[in-house]
Amino acid sequence: MRSYFSDFPKTALQASYWLFVIYLLLPLALMMAISFKDANFVAFPIDKWTLKWYAQVLQDKQFLEACAYSIFIALMTTLFATIIGVWIALLISAEGIMARSVIFALACLPAVVPGLINAISMRIFIRVLDIPTGTGAIILGHTVHAVPFVVIMVLTRLRSMPNNLVDAARDLGADSFVAFMRVTLPYLTPALAGGMVFCVLTSIDDFVRTFFLGGYQTTLPMLIFAKVQGGMSPEINAMATLVLIVTAAIGLYAEHFTRRSRT
Amino acid sequence: MMVDSSMTETAKVSPRAGPSYAGWIGKLVASPLYAATIGLIANSRMARLVLLLAIPLVWIVTLHIGPIYQMARISIMDNYPPAPGGVVYTLDNYRLFFQEPLYFMPFLRSIIFAVCVTATTLIVVYPVAYYVAKVVKPENRTRALLLLLTPFWAGELIRTFSVIMFLANRGAVNVFLREVGLIDRPIILLYNYFSLSFGVIYLISLFMLLPLYSAIEKIPTLLVDAAADLGAGPWARFRRVILPLSKDGIISGCSLVYLTSIGVFAAPLLLGGPNSTIFPEIIASLFHGSSDKWPEGAAFSILMLAVSLSTVGLFMRVVGGRSVKLM
Repeated sequence: MRSYFSDFPKTALQASYWLFVIYLLLPLALMMAISFKDANFVAFPIDKWTLKWYAQVLQDKQFLEACAYSIFIALMTTLFATIIGVWIALLISAEGIMARSVIFALACLPAVVPGLINAISMRIFIRVLDIPTGTGAIILGHTVHAVPFVVIMVLTRLRSMPNNLVDAARDLGADSFVAFMRVTLPYLTPALAGGMVFCVLTSIDDFVRTFFLGGYQTTLPMLIFAKVQGGMSPEINAMATLVLIVTAAIGLYAEHFTRRSRT
Repeated sequence: MMVDSSMTETAKVSPRAGPSYAGWIGKLVASPLYAATIGLIANSRMARLVLLLAIPLVWIVTLHIGPIYQMARISIMDNYPPAPGGVVYTLDNYRLFFQEPLYFMPFLRSIIFAVCVTATTLIVVYPVAYYVAKVVKPENRTRALLLLLTPFWAGELIRTFSVIMFLANRGAVNVFLREVGLIDRPIILLYNYFSLSFGVIYLISLFMLLPLYSAIEKIPTLLVDAAADLGAGPWARFRRVILPLSKDGIISGCSLVYLTSIGVFAAPLLLGGPNSTIFPEIIASLFHGSSDKWPEGAAFSILMLAVSLSTVGLFMRVVGGRSVKLM
């Protein structure tokens, strides 16, 4: 069969794709290149190369502390967001639930509210309730933001699950808790893995919520923001490169994992 | 025993007589504590229903609706925290917004900026998504897509930072142009609308790419073939077949990009200049300077929320017609 798509200006499409790839990759690649520059200022061209910025970053206590703090927040966020997200998804998919679409819309609300407004409303909320800014407030803000994405991923997966699986488990004598743990939860694993990685990455990346809800301890994005505003040095490039490699590796691995379990 | 008497008819089989499971869950179910706690809930319809309903509903009402409700409440107060004389509710905060061009103009600029960014992203990303979904061979599609996705796993700030270094006076673009001999002195690319849109599109084009890709991928090639057999040229096939069939992707992509670009915060702080102040910075300054500006800030946030969501709603109604899902 002749493909009529070949009549399209294929070269133009191809060119647009590669130009877009260059647009996406070039700034990051150049940023990584500068992290190896042996000079105190960030500028092209690069005459001498060095690894000293990496040595400096890996000994930088502030950076390491910010990493640990960000990872802690991300893990707590993931834990809470996954539990609550699954719970809400189960409610929405339960039989005989009234106003299903209303509950779904409200569950998705924090995802459609623009980030800044979301952060500000949380800031007002915790002040009204007299919750201090700091770790707890950040985790709360990140969790509220992450829950809708978990709900959507889990619901998509639940929709493809045959109803009679749980019924069969119940018929064989499992109570509903055992049926959930042994049938529903394993079936949800790919969605949960995807959702968890998403939670970790969005939490580690989040700036605006941390900016409004954070205390004195800096997270990774806050540290990078402060450094970028304070003045450029290849040290930031080395820092950013390290973070980028780790997060991209997590993302690629998750992509690989979910793709493999789907087939 | 107390446990036995409170069990309902669904649990005629006692846990001990029931099936046994391997692993930790088997030990858990077999333990007497289980029958008294989780087992009790699991075997009672009522308890299950309450548990299923309670936590999600409490969470949604307090944490999804609560913050926005509080923001709306504070936006009509004259002072926050309330003055000793008691709370006075007023619409002055909203009135101030329309009277003061210092607030009104950046708001307008923000909306126009977000619309322009959305339109540009759509035009730039559509051919890319089309290429990956229809021109690239299926076995190479994942690789072609991953090449586009990888940069987005770098954080928002890292990408913004790389854009700064790309466009700076001694950045990659300027150094390259000078080496080639096209310019003598650097062109100012940074701290204006150009750098701001360059950066924001850089940050959010993924939200356009993925919905467009999945919508275009679903278009059956047969339909396009049929149009071609009936004599439609490339342009007619695009306009009459492909474009209408990828409408869902366009709608969700545009909505996501618009809503994200209107609330983008770090990028304007780092990439924008004094002449390109957009609304988010103004709202943020009302919260971060002195706390007595909180009601104004809340009012402006509510306005921004209302306008951005209603723009998206209107867009969906006009372009979509039938019901559309955002994600």
